[in-house]
Amino acid sequence: MSGICQQRLAEERRQWRKDHPFGFYARPRKLADGSLDMMIWDCGIPGKQNTPWEHGVYKLVLTFPEDYPSKPPKCKFTPPLFHPNVYPSGTVCLSIINEEQGWKPAITVKQILLGIQDLLDDPNPMSPAQTDAYMLFRKDPDEYIHRVRVQARENMPS
Amino acid sequence: MDFGVDDDDEVYTSEADEADVGTFTAEKTRSDYEVDFRVLDAHDIRTMQHDRARQVADILGISTEHSAILLRYFKWNKEELIERYMDGPETVLQKAGVITDDSTAPRVMPAPAGFCCDICCDDEPGLESLALRCAHRFCRSCYEDYLRKKVVNDGESRRIQCPATHCSVIVDERTVERLVPAAVYTRYQMLLTRTFVDDSPQLRWCPAPSCEYVVKCDVPQAALRTVVPTVQCRCGTTFCHGCGLEDHLPCICELVKLWLRKCADDSETSNWIQANTKECIKCHSTIEKNGGCNHMTCRKCHHEFCWVCLGPWSEHGTNWYNCNRFDESSSKDARDSQARSRQQLERYLHYYNRYANHDQSARLDKELHTRTEKKMEEMQRTSSLSWIEVQFLRVAVDKLYECRMTLKWTYAFAYYLTRDNQTALFEDNQRDLEMAVEALSELLEKPIDPTHIKELKQDVLNKTSYVAKRRETLLEDTARGLMEERWKYQVTL
Repeated sequence: MSGICQQRLAEERRQWRKDHPFGFYARPRKLADGSLDMMIWDCGIPGKQNTPWEHGVYKLVLTFPEDYPSKPPKCKFTPPLFHPNVYPSGTVCLSIINEEQGWKPAITVKQILLGIQDLLDDPNPMSPAQTDAYMLFRKDPDEYIHRVRVQARENMPS
Repeated sequence: MDFGVDDDDEVYTSEADEADVGTFTAEKTRSDYEVDFRVLDAHDIRTMQHDRARQVADILGISTEHSAILLRYFKWNKEELIERYMDGPETVLQKAGVITDDSTAPRVMPAPAGFCCDICCDDEPGLESLALRCAHRFCRSCYEDYLRKKVVNDGESRRIQCPATHCSVIVDERTVERLVPAAVYTRYQMLLTRTFVDDSPQLRWCPAPSCEYVVKCDVPQAALRTVVPTVQCRCGTTFCHGCGLEDHLPCICELVKLWLRKCADDSETSNWIQANTKECIKCHSTIEKNGGCNHMTCRKCHHEFCWVCLGPWSEHGTNWYNCNRFDESSSKDARDSQARSRQQLERYLHYYNRYANHDQSARLDKELHTRTEKKMEEMQRTSSLSWIEVQFLRVAVDKLYECRMTLKWTYAFAYYLTRDNQTALFEDNQRDLEMAVEALSELLEKPIDPTHIKELKQDVLNKTSYVAKRRETLLEDTARGLMEERWKYQVTL
């Protein structure tokens, strides 16, 4: 792990613990020996209120590359999410976390997670990533919303 | 590409070359098929960019570094930029990512107290830092890393934004120069030049591998139906400025594109299938009849039918080998359509074969070039001719190649022409050139008879000047026809 990457992730974690948006969580993964793997963070993104996504908290894994923050972390829903801009693998397709598009080294973990939360109820039909959700979203909005609600129930924190 | 190092040298050579070209064109009167053009090197292009940026800066009353960013945002479309800027400077500046407040000009300075770099989270007091006019401050080393990655890894140049989230202010050239090592800056400059050339319709890179010259030609895209702007780079490559493909005189760009697509895709395969095969009416397998009688039995479904009328064989009674249903109107229609399709295919193949033949011959002529070198050496040994006196052979081979290329494209052009008197004239010119070319070609292929070198030389010289004249005639007439819109095409453009 490079110096900058380590230093930045430690600071990200400090900032997050000091203050983070309501309903979210983000923590480095705990290894079997009790130490922390700073390169992999387990996160949770709550669906916004008054949207079909509410009540669900969606699990997301951020994997930071060695040259973070030059390069963005990989953001992957586990299990994969039913959403037009989420690949079947669970990877999120969003401009701000795309290295070729909107990634800037100053974007924080908080901004990434808030950006993905915005994306949940405001999908981008210009860059579909999975056929399933995309087709329903375009062709049968009622069924789409129904599927989203079912998914929200399945992802309610116990 | 190496700019920075010997700028002065480049200025000198480019000026010298331009002077050369200048006198050359002044002496020679331009033919109808030729266009004016100028070959530029990297230095010329940089000067051109600076001149345009300065011009716009003067008009809008802003600095050149800002006008350059604006021009790049508008893809060097000066008129559009000025018009939009006059309508609302704030909107234009904001969209293009420019802040013109000069009091906050970016410079490297020790970070103010309480600063923490948002990228590396370093908060050491006195850290070297920089902020663009948007005031988003980062430490120098993060800035440098960021710019280096954008330039070297992403090949980005004109749209490098401030590293802050959602900030669209563009990093200007001076800031890049200040922060990155010379090699990275050189690459940055090269990328800027490349986008400038790509954005300017009058400029085109020479397509030759590793050639770094740019050709400037003012023939607009809209005129490509009446002009074939063929240019020659300083490296010797001749190409079309309109489409960037090889020299395709006298055929216009649009027809070249159509023709190449036609030759490349397999639409002709289907044409062939249509002309030469029929389908089994039951299972629709494609069947080519390669001999034998009209009684067909499909290999796949064993359906038996008559090849001539496609009716079931069982209805044919005992007229085994002579279909008496031949003249029925339905089968007549089928035959007509098949005949038409076959005719079209034959027409295409007529032109294509000649096109491909000249293409291949032109390539073989390149080999002839090497053989000619040997012949020239041989001549110098076996006769009293000096080196300079045997150059006529090389000139002849070069001319031959040029004419082959022209002939090749005359066939693509002729394929699309409608049959009329104009086309007949065109084909007369084409035939004359072709005959002249073949005569010269034959002469050059022949082994040298040392006793008749003088006569051979005279003969080659005569034939070379004759093919050159034939080519000139054909190109002149075609070019004039294009300008007068005399040619009628079988396709609508």
